[in-house]
Amino acid sequence: MKEKVLEVRDLAITFNTSAGKVKAVRGVDLDLYKGETVAIVGESGSGKSVTTKAIMGILSNNGTIDSGEIHYTFEKEGEEVTENLLNFSKKQMRKTINGKHIAMIFQDPMTSLDPTMSIGNQIIEGMRTHYKTKKKIAQAKAIKLLELVGITDPKSRMKNYPHQLSGGMRQRIVIAIALACDPDVLICDEPTTALDVTIQAKILELIQDIQKKIGISVIYITHDLGVVAKVAEYVNVMYAGKIVEKGTVDDIFYEPKHPYTWGLLLAMPDLETNTEKLVSIPGNPPNMSHDIVGDPFYPRNKYALHIDKEIEPPLIAVSETHSAATWLLSEHGPEYSLPTELQARITRMKEEAKHYAAG
Amino acid sequence: MQQANEPLLEVKDLKQHFKVSRKFTVKAVDGVSFKIYPGETYGLVGESGSGKSTIGRSVIRLHELTDGEVLFKGKDISKKMNKDTERVLRTNMQMIFQDPMASLNPRKNVLDSVAQGLDIHGLYKNQAERNERVLEILERVGLSKEFAGRYPSQFSGGQRQRIGIARALIMNPDLIIADEAISALDVSIQAQIVNLMKEIQEETNVAYLFIAHDLSMVRYISDRIGVLHLGHMIETGTTEEIFSKPLHPYTKSLLSAIPHPNPIIEQKRTALSYDYATSGLDYSEGSLHNVGGTHEVLGTDEEVNNWLNKYSMKEVIGVR
Repeated sequence: MKEKVLEVRDLAITFNTSAGKVKAVRGVDLDLYKGETVAIVGESGSGKSVTTKAIMGILSNNGTIDSGEIHYTFEKEGEEVTENLLNFSKKQMRKTINGKHIAMIFQDPMTSLDPTMSIGNQIIEGMRTHYKTKKKIAQAKAIKLLELVGITDPKSRMKNYPHQLSGGMRQRIVIAIALACDPDVLICDEPTTALDVTIQAKILELIQDIQKKIGISVIYITHDLGVVAKVAEYVNVMYAGKIVEKGTVDDIFYEPKHPYTWGLLLAMPDLETNTEKLVSIPGNPPNMSHDIVGDPFYPRNKYALHIDKEIEPPLIAVSETHSAATWLLSEHGPEYSLPTELQARITRMKEEAKHYAAG
Repeated sequence: MQQANEPLLEVKDLKQHFKVSRKFTVKAVDGVSFKIYPGETYGLVGESGSGKSTIGRSVIRLHELTDGEVLFKGKDISKKMNKDTERVLRTNMQMIFQDPMASLNPRKNVLDSVAQGLDIHGLYKNQAERNERVLEILERVGLSKEFAGRYPSQFSGGQRQRIGIARALIMNPDLIIADEAISALDVSIQAQIVNLMKEIQEETNVAYLFIAHDLSMVRYISDRIGVLHLGHMIETGTTEEIFSKPLHPYTKSLLSAIPHPNPIIEQKRTALSYDYATSGLDYSEGSLHNVGGTHEVLGTDEEVNNWLNKYSMKEVIGVR
């Protein structure tokens, strides 16, 4: 039996902005098991970052949580307890959860590091405040962490400042800081978007290695399906503040059910695409400050049904692990088939996989 | 591709150095040559700091060149230009930037923003003709006429990039330099913009210098590709040549770093790594060697022979 670490239920978040109320997250369920890697995929404005910020208790001040629960299971003084994180005040979160149990890595390492502090001090800062670790011990651990994240000559690097390091090195430091207090959950918000592809591959492989070594659970937020394919075991596809499809990575890539997921898969050229035109999703994501009636993907969806205009589809289960929010899956739904381009691509992907597995 | 034609743009041994202090000069681009033919797309790829954006900016003369020669439509545009040449350059070569929010004037409405090129060069007889041409272009890039009076802040990222394309297109250019033109956009919008750029190319036979770091998109849109690293062109050839037979270790590492959207393969492989400092290569020692077709790779005779002899594509795909 897998141990559940994090359970988000029916989370809804609204922001008060000058343009009115923006319903950024509209009822999200999310599960994270011990040692597992979950990815949240979506376009900007889909609510993926906001969801994880709510988990960390770092929503900006104009954000309010309308409903929902975030149950987090952790060890407190030797006992296993489950608490609803939404009952915690910001101060309580800072003292007991942030850094110590749930740590976060952000997109741009230059803005998440303090330019006036040596990286050694930035790594030991968390240990010193959370656990009152002795400076010598903390420093020894910091050196070990730097080694873990693949930094050569860690002892002398401790004295460096962020501006003296390259982008990839900085992101490694950020990872070391996140790991300093032995968290159970690591949230990576677009950890490699600001980095070059060659460095992106290295950082992702590094996070995977660390995960294997120390067994933490990881939530990835990304818009890049290539990254998802590389790191995730379980995938949540978000659109307009809701999860529209969830399943194992194989479910999502080889048997996608939601037209939005189809669009996402087709919109990125794989290395074998030779068709004249990419199949793009027409139109733009909806404006979340308007009330959404029916399926928010309706105007961009070739496969939309009349009912989509009026009633938003719930998540309909396809298998034990896989479900999607589209009326196509309901028992009264019409006959449909995957877009031919996508079908061709999936066949090609499976063949390739066979080919490589063979040798 | 129309290889037989005269090249539209010819860059010869371009050098762009930036003096940082009395003792220290950054050699952002150090002797790069390439040609672009009418109606084709040339992709420049490389990591940040490889000089790809600098090349784009030097070609359109946003920088004063340190050394080298740039010929555009047979005219030298690398030195001081006479009025005629400058006019040819400023009307026939256009640029699309990465961040459409930063490249549009927030206080100008779309109509005036798009018409700016026409205004500067006085390319219309009367106001009615000017506005008509703008509306025509807006329609072409998929924006409705009602948008003409709006301001950049009222648009989404993808729409803003369409405005950026409209601004370039209204001059009826022969060459558009697209500097990371789609990097800031969402995946689903990227595909829309790339499709739009391809359609426009088919209609108007415009050539693109497509600068990007996303190799899968570059592969998709480009006819030929140049791979840059540390200011040197290390490998160039048709898209097919580069992707089916990458020779230079840097190109290999770049290709192997692209994550495939295929989890069964992707979760089993590690990307190749490449580090210039420990690779034992010296880019300034080597020269471009032709290895068949238009495929060229930078290295000494010995290095190139070595790469050719030990070549294996399996390595690039890199199954663990």
